[in-house]
Amino acid sequence: MSQDWARLPERGNPLVLRLILWIALRIGRPVGRALLYPITLYFLATAPAARHGSWLFLGRVLGREPGWRELFRHIHCFAATILDRVYFLTGRLRPFDIEIFGDRWVVEQAASGQGCVLLGSHLGSFEVLRAIGVTLRHFPIKILMNTGHNRDITGFLNALNPDLAQAILPIGGPDTLLRVQENVAQGYMVGVLGDRVTVGERTVRVRFFGRETAFPAGPLLLAALADCPVILFFGLYRGGHRYEIHFERLAERIALDRRRRQEQLAVWVQRYADRLEHYARLAPYNWFNFYDYWEEDA
Amino acid sequence: MEALSPFELEVARLLVETLHLEDVQPEDIGPERPLFGEGLGLDSIDALELALAISKTYGFQLRSEDKDNRRIFASLRALSQHITQQRTR
Repeated sequence: MSQDWARLPERGNPLVLRLILWIALRIGRPVGRALLYPITLYFLATAPAARHGSWLFLGRVLGREPGWRELFRHIHCFAATILDRVYFLTGRLRPFDIEIFGDRWVVEQAASGQGCVLLGSHLGSFEVLRAIGVTLRHFPIKILMNTGHNRDITGFLNALNPDLAQAILPIGGPDTLLRVQENVAQGYMVGVLGDRVTVGERTVRVRFFGRETAFPAGPLLLAALADCPVILFFGLYRGGHRYEIHFERLAERIALDRRRRQEQLAVWVQRYADRLEHYARLAPYNWFNFYDYWEEDA
Repeated sequence: MEALSPFELEVARLLVETLHLEDVQPEDIGPERPLFGEGLGLDSIDALELALAISKTYGFQLRSEDKDNRRIFASLRALSQHITQQRTR
């Protein structure tokens, strides 16, 4: 299920995506944004599973049943960040107001020459970080990404932006994490997303919004094995042309004792989940995991 | 089942010890059996731990750029052969 929704933004055929790209780049953001309304309505009408995921999440955050207006706002927020992704990935940052919090964590980390794990999530825009960090600031960033489906917007835009394409570490094969560890050892900050479990992945049970659910164990286990710091990042869309990037340091290093590894790891993953919950409360419409996150229907 | 060579048994012990495979006896690992996915069921995290342990024990780095990684990681036998060729201690 989560696998299917990993590709939610890329639903639809490549022609439509090309059209959106063309409008976004040739005609401009105001027209693109006007089109978000019918697109949002279309999604609301034709993607019942995503709608249900939104309904479940907003219900949990708001503490009551969400209304249509709130569901609309949720999908609209998502669609808006997809549109802006076009601008971020092609380096067109001028129209945006991007405020950065906790900048010093990445600045200091980059200055130290030591690598780290940059741990993000599907809360808000991942691309705003890539745009700022790679294209604008030239931080030594690499992003661990699934490049299997090249027809999607990201694959297409990566092809347009060689800087970003070079900064991708493809997922696949038993040596994927070895590659990440090598890059960290070479001083790269490697961006990974830590909130979505894929099939067969190792997990840790944590509390999230007051209810137990599974989070991936991999990212923090990787940081422990690579013996490197973990910096959290959240790229929140705040409406209009405003974005916020928040950086925090989760850990200077994660030391795990082999015998108590699972329980010690759970403490760290819980800390990550707590910060994710904090930011998800701050910007609930930025929650882009449109599926049954707590497996409530199971 | 096919018997392991002495060196394959040594690598199998390293593997079981490093990855804390509690239900697996080193001598029971089939030398040609896949290590990842089907077979022993190791994952990418195991591969990283294994690579770090091999570098510590045998003094050479397994590199992710190595195009032969799929073959090297394919089975205990393939891995042992690779270590034999590359080891510095």
